Order: sequence, then structure tokens, then C-alpha cells
Amino acid sequence: MTTAASVGDLVSQPYKYGFVTDIETEKIPKGLSEDVVRLISSKKDEPAFLLDFRLRAYRQWLQMETPDWAALGYPTIDFQNIIYYAAPKQRDKKASLDEVDPKLLETFDKLGIPLSEQKRLTNVAVDAVFDSVSIATTYKEKLAEHGVIFCSISEAVKEHPELIERYLGTVVPSNDNYYSALNSAVFSDGSFVFIPKGVECPMELSTYFRINSGDTGQFERTLIVAEEGASVSYLEGCTAPMFDTNQLHAAVVELVVLDDASIKYSTVQNWYAGDEHGVGGIYNFVTKRGHCRGDRSKISWTQVETGSAITWKYPSCVLQGADSVGEFYSVALTNNYQQADTGSKMVHVGPRTRSTIVSKGISAGHSANSYRGLVQIGPKAVGARNYSQCDSMLIGDQAAANTYPYIRSQQPLASVEHEASTCRMSEDQLFYLQSRGIAFEEAVSMMVSGFCRDVFNQLPMEFAAEADKLLALKLEGSVG
Amino acid sequence: MIRPDADVLLEISGLHARVEDKVILNGVDLTLRAGEIHAVMGRNGSGKSTLSKVLAGHPAYTVTAGTVTYRGQNLLELSPEERARVGVFLGFQYPVEIPGVSNLEFLRVATNARRVQLGQEELDTFAFEDLVHERLKVVQMDPAFLDRSVNEGFSGGEKKRNEILQMALLEPLVAILDETDSGLDIDALRIVAAGVSQLATADTTTLLITHYQRLLEAITPDFVHVMAAGRILRTGGRELALELEERGYDWVDQELAALELG
Amino acid sequence: MGMSTVSAKSLASWTSDLLARLPAPSGPLAAVQGRGRGALAALQGPSRRQEAWRFTDLALLVGLNLNPSAALSSGSAADGFAADGAGTDGAALPGTSQSGPDTLRLKLDGGSDPLAGVVLPAGVSPLSESELVLALGHTLAATGCEQHWPVELNHASASQLLALRIASRSQVSLELVSDAAAELRPLRVLLILEEKAQLQLCQRLTATGAGLTSLVLEAHLGRGARLEHGLVALGQPDAALLAHLALEQEPESHVSLVAVSAGWGVSRLEPRIVQVDGSATTTLRGLQVVAGDQIADTHSHMAFGGPEGQLDQLHKAVADGRGRSVFNGAVRVPRAAQRTNAAQLSRSLLLSDRARIDTKPELEIVADDVRCAHGATVSCLQLDELFYLQSRGIAADQASALLKRAFCEEVLRELPAAARRWCSFESLLAAHGADAGPATAVESGRDDLEGEGA
Repeated sequence: MTTAASVGDLVSQPYKYGFVTDIETEKIPKGLSEDVVRLISSKKDEPAFLLDFRLRAYRQWLQMETPDWAALGYPTIDFQNIIYYAAPKQRDKKASLDEVDPKLLETFDKLGIPLSEQKRLTNVAVDAVFDSVSIATTYKEKLAEHGVIFCSISEAVKEHPELIERYLGTVVPSNDNYYSALNSAVFSDGSFVFIPKGVECPMELSTYFRINSGDTGQFERTLIVAEEGASVSYLEGCTAPMFDTNQLHAAVVELVVLDDASIKYSTVQNWYAGDEHGVGGIYNFVTKRGHCRGDRSKISWTQVETGSAITWKYPSCVLQGADSVGEFYSVALTNNYQQADTGSKMVHVGPRTRSTIVSKGISAGHSANSYRGLVQIGPKAVGARNYSQCDSMLIGDQAAANTYPYIRSQQPLASVEHEASTCRMSEDQLFYLQSRGIAFEEAVSMMVSGFCRDVFNQLPMEFAAEADKLLALKLEGSVG
Repeated sequence: MIRPDADVLLEISGLHARVEDKVILNGVDLTLRAGEIHAVMGRNGSGKSTLSKVLAGHPAYTVTAGTVTYRGQNLLELSPEERARVGVFLGFQYPVEIPGVSNLEFLRVATNARRVQLGQEELDTFAFEDLVHERLKVVQMDPAFLDRSVNEGFSGGEKKRNEILQMALLEPLVAILDETDSGLDIDALRIVAAGVSQLATADTTTLLITHYQRLLEAITPDFVHVMAAGRILRTGGRELALELEERGYDWVDQELAALELG
Repeated sequence: MGMSTVSAKSLASWTSDLLARLPAPSGPLAAVQGRGRGALAALQGPSRRQEAWRFTDLALLVGLNLNPSAALSSGSAADGFAADGAGTDGAALPGTSQSGPDTLRLKLDGGSDPLAGVVLPAGVSPLSESELVLALGHTLAATGCEQHWPVELNHASASQLLALRIASRSQVSLELVSDAAAELRPLRVLLILEEKAQLQLCQRLTATGAGLTSLVLEAHLGRGARLEHGLVALGQPDAALLAHLALEQEPESHVSLVAVSAGWGVSRLEPRIVQVDGSATTTLRGLQVVAGDQIADTHSHMAFGGPEGQLDQLHKAVADGRGRSVFNGAVRVPRAAQRTNAAQLSRSLLLSDRARIDTKPELEIVADDVRCAHGATVSCLQLDELFYLQSRGIAADQASALLKRAFCEEVLRELPAAARRWCSFESLLAAHGADAGPATAVESGRDDLEGEGA
């Protein structure tokens, strides 16, 4: 009897964020053309430089071909069958939360992200984005006292256009890849964070994305800039209702750190993954890149991925500044028929740069979980060091764990070390824990947490506890 | 120590069990009273290890007939963790390694699960650390083992001592020790035996499953049972173990054959 | 980088040019040649857009003006070795053993029947035509490479074949030698090892001219059979090597493949092994050395078809000058391959800042009760180690030479003794383009002593 059979009928925890908010939404007709791009720009009242940015990107996109990743199988996306703009019908960002449509506030309440004054989390500032439109940002004034700018990109375009113009598209150029080009043309909203010189952001900043419409593509754009000596910890969270068609999520995240600055970017992603037969679920194609522009700068990516039908994301760091540091800590769980092709790229340009990759993949059900990483040491990266560790945990014998770590080195005075191993959650190990009085679900959870410990230790405290529970939740019915 | 009026802690009656489609237990009868120490001996394949796994509720084994009553309660309808919490402990022959799960954390969660069952308060991290450091003395283990992953990289002797440490923390009423002496050198055997003896009280019963009788030199059993072909063939006192040591197990085959014919 | 990149168009025209110049199909492989030529003409050749060829530029190959070997059309008799001939090929290292008197030594030149006039020892027999029809290509298909471009290139051009059956329980020692000049030399080998047969195969490939050696070797191991294959491939900077080694293992069989290559302008080695039902052991060792503008590429592929198989793989690379080393180690453990135990380690030594290492271990695992680990490191000579030797009175340049030798020895010493004599450490580095002398050490900065004009 295998582990799979012995657990029997643990019922799969229903995705509790699967509800839809009934709210009036303005949408434009389906399809993408230059006119649609202009329409989006005009609806958001954007300055000329941004319209140009969009149009250039759109024209580049037309010249490109969809990427073909051998390991993923998904039906071709019909880009003309997607709506590129949907916004809840409250136009301007409200000056105070009292003016926000209560149904929206209630939505975020239900998601555990209370926005109202009394109930909000006190140590986290939240920018709430509903169907790609930023609804509210908490603690703006308090942050402004420290000189920290935290607002939606749309707002930043109006209030700080020079910053947007200086930094947007400098880390992920529009023509970097197919989905970054698409995003650069039709991005709707996202968060902008700017930490001025020498400031340690006093709170954690968080953007919470909520997809509500079924047929809208989501194209968020996030830009975080930390000037010399500045630092910030940023959390990204997201959920979506359950639909039986697939939705496209193509986001771009750009991080810039100057001398001695650091950004910690954490994601706990819990999209709807499709039902147990693989129907529905989000297509998640994200380009996330950090540029360690300054000397001794640092970027840490920490992520827990448990949702989405198809995930294609490789948070990367370009380590240009001397002595700069890039880190990537990830747990990716796939179950049922999910497919993940994810990993990290660390590109060492400058001298004495360091990178660390710790990737933990958990494959259950009939899923396929692939780690694809790149460590590239350029000719000028004297004294660079990389350490990578990719471990896979297999649950049952029908899921796949694939590892493709690319290592490219041109600098002899650098060192690269990579290790990988596989393990399983065995019946014997679970029985051992149970025979000591530990309940089955808790035993599973202990083993998974033990496996992911190196990564969970990197998450901000609030996320760490949530991540633990989220994994346990997602595994119910899979160790079985 | 045999006291005829002591409580019956474990009553096994006509127990038959199989793994996949192979029948291993062929009608085991055994009564364990409080304060007693029993030894089950037999060749490899006699079913002694299977007996211990079936009592602990290992999912690979199916009970096809018979009953097991623990303090008047049907043990077979309890899940493995429920059995552990009510005080049935299995010391494994080959304790499995669980990389990534901290030994200390694991011991604390298990101990608290038992305490809750007994109506006691759960121990927080600090209180538990005090308790475990005290219990480490029973098995003379270095506290450094607490920081490692469960059994990972432990030598055979260290794994067995980790088992006895768990016994010292969980304080079971029925302790079933499956070949606890296998793979141990003299010193480790001495420590394990001393630990087991220390934990055996008038209220507990201990079932030692063993191949060799050298463990029984260190822990004197009240009853020795010889198992073969999935059942208990003969029961005797301490002398039976010595007899086995001298004569070996051949006579067992003869007796089995006689049973078949008779 | 000083090297032009080959375009798909230039490779295609090189291919059709070559096809036009090949003599008409003849010999035992005539039918294979016919089919192969058609396939090659229709096949899209390797290009940088294909994942499997991303880092390996075939520009040098395309620059070769290949005359099919004079031997291809002459059909001259093979030059079999005398049983105890010491041979002038490769200086024997003092103290190393020569191949024994019972070794079957054959010369492969791609144009003549290697068995003509040769008396086969006990336990070795040729294959009949009907056996050939069944066996030829079987292992290529089992390892999934029968339509690879280098294989079709070999299909199109090879007219001669060495096909041998090693009888059950016999112990055979075989030496295959090929010394190519400025020519296209296609070599095709098929070995059938019956149950519990044991074969030690020492194979040497060298080049003394601007040519292409194309090798396709298939070996099928019956239950309990053992193959020890030591391959030494020493080329020169204007020569190219394309080699596919396809091995099929029945349960309980053992394969030990040790491949050493150095000096080729471009070399591509593809060891592909399948354990058809698991329960076999496979040991792979590889060492490739590049310097100058050389490119060495090993793409290995290990597939487990059943449970309880074992893999122990170690691949080492040394890259100096502007050399480029590429390694891709694929391991496939499907659902049926429970209790597989696979370990793969790739270690690369980067000696100059113009050289380049590309290494990618690649695991695809579905079975869960398995032990699969891989590791990869890239570094230069370690400062601590250099210093330790120097602190014992050894000069810096000698110290680095010692460490480089030690790095390579780990693989070299696993070669069967008869193969070992073909590649001393010095011959490996010095005679074939790389500099065995003073190396880049942490303290000494740019290497200004390299002979190849970095």
C-alpha cells in the first residue's frame, strides 16, 4: 500500500478565495490593437512619454514570437480574446477610505487584508489593487513623513513623472521578452515604491492583487527604487476567484538598488490552480528582475508558489555593482495537473559579487515541477561566488521533478557550486511520526516545513506562518 | 515481576494478519499484565517483527482475524497516533531518518500530544528543554543530538538510544521494543538495557522482541515466548531463553511439524 | 571572439556539398547509406536556436573541405596488428603494461573491412547478415538518437562496419585504433555482448590533419554482461570529432565508460545509455581539455527503464586559452524506475579569463523512492592548495602543474591500462594545444606564458 492509498479520502480543502465580487466594472471590448493601447493611455490620462513607451513596446511585441518552452504544455493563448482594461467604476483614487465603495473594502476584508482604519494591520502598509486598478493605499502620510513614496504607478505617473521616466523600463527593457513587451504596452497598474537616500523604510510595504473579472488579462507593473543606503522589505500577495477558463497574468517587476541599498521582495502566491482535473487556473508569466546597480547593494527574492495552472517566472538579479549580493529563496509546490517552470537567473557582472540560490520543489499529484536556473559569471566578475542548492520532494510516483541548472562561466577567479538532491515523503517516515502521537496532517506539515526550512527562515514573520499553513492546505488530498 | 492480580494492560487473542497477500500472523495469543517484562524470541520470518508493527498500526499490515484489547479498549480501531497517545510505544528495529525535521521539535510535539491526552498542560519550549535535558541522562545522550534532524546521521546505537529517550519522555504503559539490541556494541547495549529497566515500573508492561538472549542477561524477563510461523509455540520462564541459546531453533521445526499433523 | 558563427544556411550548403561528393553506396552498409543520405538532406542541421546545440558552434566543421577518405572507395585490406605488435601509435609510457598477447587489435580507417585477413580469437565472432539486419540501429533507437544529425551524417557516409558478437561467458580484450588524416573518416561499430560476456575495449581516435572523424558505436549488453570501454580521443586544432556511443543494458549488466578528449578544434561526444529494465550499473567518467580556440562538448543521456538501476557519473573539464567546454548531463528517472540510485558530479577548472565553461546537469524524475543527486562546481586552481605545495618548497609553476595533473588523474586512472598508455598527462595538455606549464594562479594575474597566443 502506498502513501497515496493509505490516506484515502482527505477532502481537498476548497479554495476559500474563490468568490466573485459583484461590482460594476467598466471594461473595454476584447482585443488588442494600437487603438486599444491609445485608449488605455487616455483612460489613465497619461503624459506623452508614457504613451510613447507603450506604443514602442506594442510595435516590438508585434515583431516577436511566443516563446516555446519544451517542458510546459499549454494551449495557445488567443491574444485577441482578452480584455485589456477593466476597472471598478470608481474613477479617482479616493482621498479617504470612507469614500471607497464598501463592496471593495469588504472584498479585501474577506481576503484577510482589512483596509479600514480600525482593522488594518499596523505594521504593514498595503496598496490594494482590484482588477489591475489600485483602490487604496494605507499609511501614505506616515510614509511620506520619511520621504518614502508608496503609491500606485498611475498616481506616480501624475505626481512623480520624472522618477517614472528615469527608471521605468531600465531593468526590464520592453523588448526583453514576449510578455514583457506585451506588459509594457498594456500595463494597467501596480505599485511604485521610492525610498530616498539613507532611509530605512519604517514599515513593510505590501501590494495585494485581486483578480475579479474572468476574461480580463492582468498586466501589473511594479517598480521599486532604493537610493543610496536605503532599504525596504516588500510583500506581494495575490488571489483570484475560480473560473473554468484560464486567465493570463503577465506582470513585470523592476527593482533598482544603488550603493549600499537593499530590497527584500517576498511573494506568497496563492492563485487558483485549476481544479483537480486541471480545468481553469491562471497562466502566470512574470518577468521579475533586480538590478544591483550600486556597489555593495543587495536584492533578495523570496517566494512561496502554490497556485497558478502554469507558472513561468525567473526572478533574476543583475549583479553589476562591486560586492553586490543577489539571493533567491523559493518554495514551489505543484499538485494535481499544475506545471511550474521556475527558477532564478543570477548574472554576475561586477567583481566580488555573490549569489545564493536555494530552491525547494514539492511535486505531488500528476504535476510537473521544473527548476530552471542560470548562473552566469561574466569576464569582469573577478572573485565572484555562487552557491546553489535545488532540492526536490516527490509525493507519490506520478509527479515529476525536473532540474535544469545552467552554469556559464568566463572568469576563472570566480567559483560556482551547485548541489541538488531528491527525496520523498515516505510512508515509513510518516508512520514514525504518527507512532509518536503526531496526527497525520501535522506529520505531513512537519516534514514539508522541515524540507522548506531554509526558505521559510527568509520570509518576513507574517508570511512565514502563512506560508506554512498554505502549504499544508495545498497538500491536503495529495498525500492521498 | 509477576503479580497474578495485576491489571491486564494488553490482551491479544487469536490475532491473524497479512501483509499484501502474504499471511504472517497465524493466531497469536498473549496477555501482558502491569509490572511484567515479556520476551518474544524466534527466527527471522517467525512473525515477531510483524506482531510489533501490527500492534502499532502500521498501514502496510491488515488484521484478518482476532482482537487486541488495551486496558479494556479495542486497540485495533485506533489510528497510530491515537495508540501512541494512549500509551502504546513501539521502539523500531530500524528507526527511520527524517532530514529537515528537528529532533528537539519532534520530541516536544510528541511529548505534548501525550500530555494533552493525560490531561496535563502542554510544555512550552523552555519547560520542555528542561525536561528533555533531564531525560537525556536516562540514555546518556549528548544534548547536541537534539539540534540534529531526527535520526539523521545517527549511528545504530544512537538511533536506538533516541528511541529510548522518546520512551522516557512519552512514558507509555505498554512498551514494545523490536530488536532494540540489534546492531549494538556492548556499551550501547548496556546503556539501552539500563534505560529500559529504569523505565519499567509496576504500572507498565514491556515486550522485548529479540533474536539473541544477551539483552535478556541485562533485563530479566518474567516470561519468554517462542514464536514460529506466526504464532506463539511455547511459553516459559527465563530458562527457556537459555535453552534456546544452547539448543538453537531446530526443535521448533519438529514441534511445528507435529502441530501440523496433529 | 575571433570565431565566426556558423549559420543554418552555411551548414546546409556544406551538407549538400558533402552529399554530392560521397561515392555511391557500397559495402555492407549500402542500404544504410542510401537511407541516411535521404534523411540527412531533409534534416534541419544543428543551430544555436536548438537547445541541444546552443553552445556548440560548428563553424570549424563547416570550414573543412572534406574529401571522403581515399580509403572509402579503395576497399584495401585492413592492416591488422600482429598479436604482439607494440605499434608505433602513441608512445607507451614506461612502466605501463602493454596490451596482452590475447588482445584483438584492429585498425579502423572507414574505408576497408577491418576484419579482412584477421583471425578472430575464441569467443569473438562476426555477425551474419540476418543478425545484422536485426541488430544494426537497435540500440540507437533504444537510446533515442537514431535521427540525430551526427548519426545521420554517419549513416550517409559510413561504408564499412565492425560488427562483433562476444560469446556468453567469454572474456575478450579488444583494441580499436583510428588515426585520421585530412579526410572524412566515418566509423561504425556494433558490439553484441551475450549473457555474462566480458569485454574490455580500448579505443583510440587521433587526427593528424584537418578532417572529421565521425563515430557511431552501438553496444548491446545481455544479462550480466560487462563492458569496460576506455576511449582516448586526441585531435588537433583543425580537426573535428563527432561521436555517438549508444549502450543498451539488460539487467545485472555493468558498463564502465571512461572517455578522454583533448585537442580537437571542435568535438561533440554523446554517450547515451539506457538500462532497459533497470537493475544494472553504469559508471561514466569523462575528461575534456580545451585550449586555444577549441570547443569540447559532451552531451550525456542516461535513461532508466526499470527499477533499482545505478549511475555513478563524474565529468571533468579543463578550459584554458579561449577554449570552450560544454557539458550537459541528462538523467531520466520515470515512474517505473523506483529505487534508482543516481549520482552525477561535474567539475570544471577554468584557467584563463578568455576561456568559457557551460555546464548543465539535467534531471527529470518521476519515481519517488529514489536517490538522485547531482553537483557541479566551476573554479580555478585553489589558492590554499597552491600555497601548501609552495610551502613545501615547490615552485609556483610546478605546483600548478601538479594540481592540474591531480585534477585530471581522477579520471585518467580509471582508464583500462591499455588505453592509459595512449594519454600521458603531458601528451594530453602539451601535444594538443594546451599549455601544461605555468598556469593562471590567483596571485599571478594574467597568464603571459601561454604558447597559443591568448
